[in-house]
Order: sequence, then structure tokens, then C-alpha cells
Amino acid sequence: MGEIVIFGGDSHPELVKMICDNLAIHSSKVQMGKFSNGETSVSVRESVREKDVYVIQSGCGHVNDTFMELLILISACKTASASRVTAVMPYFCYSRQPDIPYTNKGAPLISRTSEERSDEFNKSLSTGLTTRKPGAESPFEGPESSIRSDGGRSEDSKPSSSSSNSTSNSDGIKKSVSFSRIPVIADGKDAGSTKADAGELFNAQNAGYKLWVAQAGTLIANLLTTAGADHVITMDLHDPQFQGFFDISVDNLYCKPLAQKHIQFGIPNYKEAVIVSPDAGGAKRATSIADALKLSFALIHKERRSQLLKGPPGATLSSGGTFSTNPKPLVSHLHSADMHPSNSASKYVQTTMLVGDVRNKVCIIVDDLVDTSYTITRAAKLLKDQGASKVYALITHGIFSGDALSRIRQSAIDKLIVSNTVPQHETVAYLGKDKVDVMDVSRIFAEAIRRVHNGESISMLFEHGW
Amino acid sequence: MSSEVEEMSANSIKLLAGNSHPELAEAISRRLGIQLSKVGVYQYSNKETSVTIGESIRDEDVYIIQTGTGQQEINDFLMELLIMIHACKVASVRRVTAVIPNFPYARQDKKDKSRAPITAKLVANLLQTAGCDHVITMDLHASQIQGFFRIPVDNLYAEPSILNYIKTKTDLKNAILVSPDAGGAKRVAALADKLDLYFALIHKERQKANEVSRMVLVGDVKGKSCLLIDDMADTCGTLVKATSTLMDHGAKEVIAIVSHGIFSGDAREKLKNSRLSRIVSTNTVPVDLDSDIYDQIDISPTLAEAIRRLHNGESVSYLFANAPV
Repeated sequence: MGEIVIFGGDSHPELVKMICDNLAIHSSKVQMGKFSNGETSVSVRESVREKDVYVIQSGCGHVNDTFMELLILISACKTASASRVTAVMPYFCYSRQPDIPYTNKGAPLISRTSEERSDEFNKSLSTGLTTRKPGAESPFEGPESSIRSDGGRSEDSKPSSSSSNSTSNSDGIKKSVSFSRIPVIADGKDAGSTKADAGELFNAQNAGYKLWVAQAGTLIANLLTTAGADHVITMDLHDPQFQGFFDISVDNLYCKPLAQKHIQFGIPNYKEAVIVSPDAGGAKRATSIADALKLSFALIHKERRSQLLKGPPGATLSSGGTFSTNPKPLVSHLHSADMHPSNSASKYVQTTMLVGDVRNKVCIIVDDLVDTSYTITRAAKLLKDQGASKVYALITHGIFSGDALSRIRQSAIDKLIVSNTVPQHETVAYLGKDKVDVMDVSRIFAEAIRRVHNGESISMLFEHGW
Repeated sequence: MSSEVEEMSANSIKLLAGNSHPELAEAISRRLGIQLSKVGVYQYSNKETSVTIGESIRDEDVYIIQTGTGQQEINDFLMELLIMIHACKVASVRRVTAVIPNFPYARQDKKDKSRAPITAKLVANLLQTAGCDHVITMDLHASQIQGFFRIPVDNLYAEPSILNYIKTKTDLKNAILVSPDAGGAKRVAALADKLDLYFALIHKERQKANEVSRMVLVGDVKGKSCLLIDDMADTCGTLVKATSTLMDHGAKEVIAIVSHGIFSGDAREKLKNSRLSRIVSTNTVPVDLDSDIYDQIDISPTLAEAIRRLHNGESVSYLFANAPV
């Protein structure tokens, strides 16, 4: 195998630099840009003939652009006779695709950026709730999430109560998305904008067909292979099964050893702490850390099922040992009565329950991915309500899209511990240095690259970290 | 063989559209008399693309209309297309055809410098990986791009529609066709033959992409109404310079006719300040220019007819020479 060559994409230059520093080499020159018509241009400035090429690109920022950049760069290296090309994707984009979030009226949460487009898309999307994969919890929550009832958020300039947001909703989204042709699925705040459309969207003409969201995982894996990647190095894939989507070798590194270290050295009196999984899907991930550190464990379980509601609207659903978060279960009428007259008694009930005891304890919420932050902020609120003394959030991939950061700032989370698989400048700048701890994964990646290059085993990185 | 075909149940055309060019999709759908299928193509707040197909497409003949356009969104549109194709494949359609009027990255079609990516080939591979069975496109920048695919590619021509436009909307008696570069000479010569017109050629020396330095005119344009013909107008540097060259050589007026009107960057201002009397393009990509200078040729009938013929297993050769009325 030829000598090692490292290219960094545009998505995360700091991480590229740190990985290169750890390997004591310079990243090779590559120029990324765009032609005036928007097409991505890549020009590789150094010879890669018969070299062992590593391309580092995280799936963050403008995801489709960075991903195309990665594909073009890989294919450029391949056509330029590189002997092997390894895609290093600290955060693997499209590894988790949430369902379309729905408002309590059942309409998908979409912000319309222009009037005429909205009409078209009202027409274009009909009917039904999506099937929810067990365990794959959507981070999107409608305005009904319990965090909304939190009173202490009045300093936020944006309207936070779901009842008053219908007027100003689209401005916030337009700011974050400067172009207008693609409709955006907004986070819960924008629910108001679609409420009026709900009836129209629910003209269930094709009965028997269940709406589903295309899962792009296999496709992304195949696209990478097609571009010419021979090997993929990534970290904390949302589904471990994702590895099986590839026909090439995939090294899935773990942030866990690093996270454990941060708990041990960064959290005072960590032995008294409780590891909390914010949803059932992450239970395994959280328990493995809890087991390794011999800590106790709690689980937050969110239930959202269609059922006949018995008793008064204020009734809570609780069973032995579990607590209902919300004094009022969140009841929503999915269909207006005239559409499903026979079904009008059917209600959607959502409850969030905590399994385990957290009273007067330090809680560490462990999750692999935080995007809109609804799940994690709601979990923090629940923990504080149940008497937790302090709430930490330990996250591998902090995407923090939309209003996630402001939501976290106002949430009950006392400290955020997040890795730098995705750039975290903004997070630190927004939340303040004392509220955020950034775990540096560059050493793990550098060592993995070194070992892959030298043909050594990387299993040791799984256990001990670096 | 024939009995096998008969055994297969009849399927129908399903038209799906991405977000790149809803007007064109609408026009094709009207022309075919087939409603666009319900799809939801959205972007999550983390900028990932989400596709929801709103009705059953099992065992149908699916056509996805998505063009390469947008200075910010071109990669988003490409990913939309790939995910939609993949979603259709997963949903057990009989055949997926990508209708890509303007093929994205068509100009990155050769290794013109060391280690330059051949992105057009990459896009071809990506489409096939996603599960595309057939591609319909129009006026590929280089028709050799068809060879990048292992699946059939129908490269339609805007030429018949452009011919119609020239015959009906321009002063044919006093016209001369002009190619703004040597590469387009063949296309323009063919057109000139069909119209029985003279043609001139501008030779340009290009130093960098999207930049044009010097222009040399070959042919006489004095007092003529010049029709500048090109396959694509992007930053319009070439067109504007060619126009001044022609006007400097005594042309009466200059009308530019292009297949793909991308008009990126400051093309709007450039065109406004140029001596062009009119710019004409087809609607393979959405164009946002003022109607006092801009004229559009609708090619949706050609695309619709190609879809219809493809679905029915008829030849599409007819469309290479004729524009459906």
C-alpha cells in the first residue's frame, strides 16, 4: 500500500486539522467550490497515484452538498488511480431518518415558503400516520410535547406557546433556509401554519395504503460504494445494522470509551449518578455505559398509541412504578368526525413515563444523536420534575438543527457533553463554555486511520478508546 | 415471448415530480392527461431530504421528472431524485424512468486536468445505483454522456421545437445563424441546412471556466438579423461577448436561442445591459427573466410524447426530427 494521503472536505476543517496533527502529517491540497450554476467543483491538487487515500467529511451543514462533495472527491481520487480510498465520515448522514412529524391535527409539520407551492403540496400529500418503527423514536414532537407547558421561557423572543405561534411561524424558518423551492419540515414550533390544511390533507382517497417515508440508508451506502469508496470509517452509527447495508468494509468506531472517561473525570461524584436513556431505542447504548461504570440506569418511555380513552380527559395513564409526565395526557383528534364517523371515539394518547428512580440524583442522559433536541429537552424536564438534582446530556453527534440550541438553553439540561464529530463552535458560543464540554474524537479517528493504513487491528479502539 | 408479455398485467404511467421544476411537471401531466402522483419531498431541519410516496405504485411504470437547476439546491434536487428512484424501487415498481431535461453536471464530462473528477459519469453511476432503469434527457452537453450509462438513455433534441420557433417568430429572410463557439458549429450547421440559411462562427479563446477572453468572427453578418444558437446559457459571458462582437461587425440585431437557460450568477444584469434584442430558451429549467427580453419555448410536448411512446414501447426516433404539436 502506498503512502497515506488525507483530504478534508469542507464540512469540518478543524477536525481534519486535528486528525492530521495527531498523525503528524499535513492534509493534502484539494479545492472545493461551486460553479456559478451551483454544481460542486472539486480539484485535487496533489498526486494520489497508488496512494492510500482518506477523505474526511462529516455529514453536517448542508448535507446534500457535503455528501455530493464527498462522492465527487472519492470518484476523483479513484479515477486518478488511488490504490485505496477510505471515506471517513465522523457523522454518517441519513443514518437515521425520522418519520414526518405530525401535528395534533395529523397534518405533517411543513412550513410553506410560498403560497403557490403550498397549494400544490397540500394536494400532493394525503392521509394517514406513518408506521413507527419500534425503538426508532422520532425526535420531532408536535406542539403537544410537555416541554411546551414549561413556564420559564418567557425571555425567548420567539413565541413559545403553541397557541400563539400561528402568526409568526414562517419567518423563523425562512431565515434558516434561504432558498425557497424545497418545502421544509419544520420543527414543532411551526405547527400552527399547517393546522388549516389538515382537513385538506386528510382526504383519504386511497384507503388501505399506508403512507411511508423512504429510508435512504441503503441508498447512501450504495452511492458511496458506487463513487469508489473501498472502506468506510464512521462513529456510533444510529443502527448497528447499517453496517450490513455496505458491501465494503465498515469500521464503526465507538464514542463510548471517551464518554466514559468524560463521566469519570468530568462529573463530580459520578458514582451516584444515574444513566438515563431518553427513549427505548437508546436503552442498549445507555445500559452499556451504565454497566461499564457500574451506575444505575433509568429509561424514559414514550407511548403514542391509538386507543379508546376511558375516564375524564385529565386522567393519567400510569402503572406500578412508572410516572406519567404529563398531568394531562395529550389527546388529539386524528380525524375530524365527519370523515370517520364510526371512528370518532378513537383518540391518540401520548404519555411519557420514567422507569427508574432519579430523586435527588445526578442524571446523565445518553443519546447518540441530537437533532431537533425535542426528545432530550423533554427528557430533561421530566427528570427535573421527578426530582433529579442535576441533568447532564451526553451526546455523540450534536446536529442541533433549527431552534435546537435555544431550546436546550432554556431546558433543564445543566450541562451538555458532546463530541466534535460535527462542528460545535456555535454550540459553545451560544450556550457558553461552562455549559458545554466538547469531547475530542480526533485521536480516535487518527489512530483508526493509522491502524487501517498499517493493516493493524482496530478492535482495541472499541474497548479502551484513545 | 409474446405470450409472456400478454400474461403480464397491464400497468399504467405514474408521473412523479421533485421540487426542481413543478411547472414543467404540471405541463407534462396536462399534456398526457395523467395526474401527478402524490409525493411529499421535503427537507428536514437538519437539511436531509425526506421522500414520502403518497399512493401505491406497485408494478407501475414510473416516470420521475426532475431537472438539474438551482444555484443553491442542485445537489438537493439530485439527492431528491436518487431517493425518489430508490423509494420507487423499494416499492416494487415495474420500471423507473428518470426524466432529466437538463442533466446536472453534464459539463464535468472529461478528465480535462489531472485528477479532475468526471462528475457526469459519477451522476450516471449514482442514478443506476439508485435503481434507475431508463433515462430521458434533452440536449446533453456531450452526447457521449449516453455512453456513461449501462441503461438506455434517450437523448431528445430541442432542435425541432427551436426550428418551429425560428420559422414562426423571427425574420427568416434576413437571418443568419451564428455559433458562439467552435464546439457548437456542427449543431448550428445542421440547423442552417434545415432552414436553408447561411451561418457564421465565432471562435473564442477561453482561459478559465466561465471566463471568455477574445473572440474572432468568421463570416459576414452585416445588416443581418443574427440568431446565436447554443446548447446552454449559464453566466452568459459568452453570449454577451458574442453579441457585442456581432454588433461591432454591423449586425442589425442579435437574438440568442439556447436549449438550457440556466442564467446563473449575474446573468440577469449582464443580459439587461447587453445589446441582445431577445433571449430565447426552452423550459428544461425554470427561468426567471423579464418577459420584455425573454421568450420561452415549451418542450413539455416532446417530453410527454417521449414518455407516452416509451410506455407503449413505440419508437421515439420521430421526436428527433419532429416536435409534437
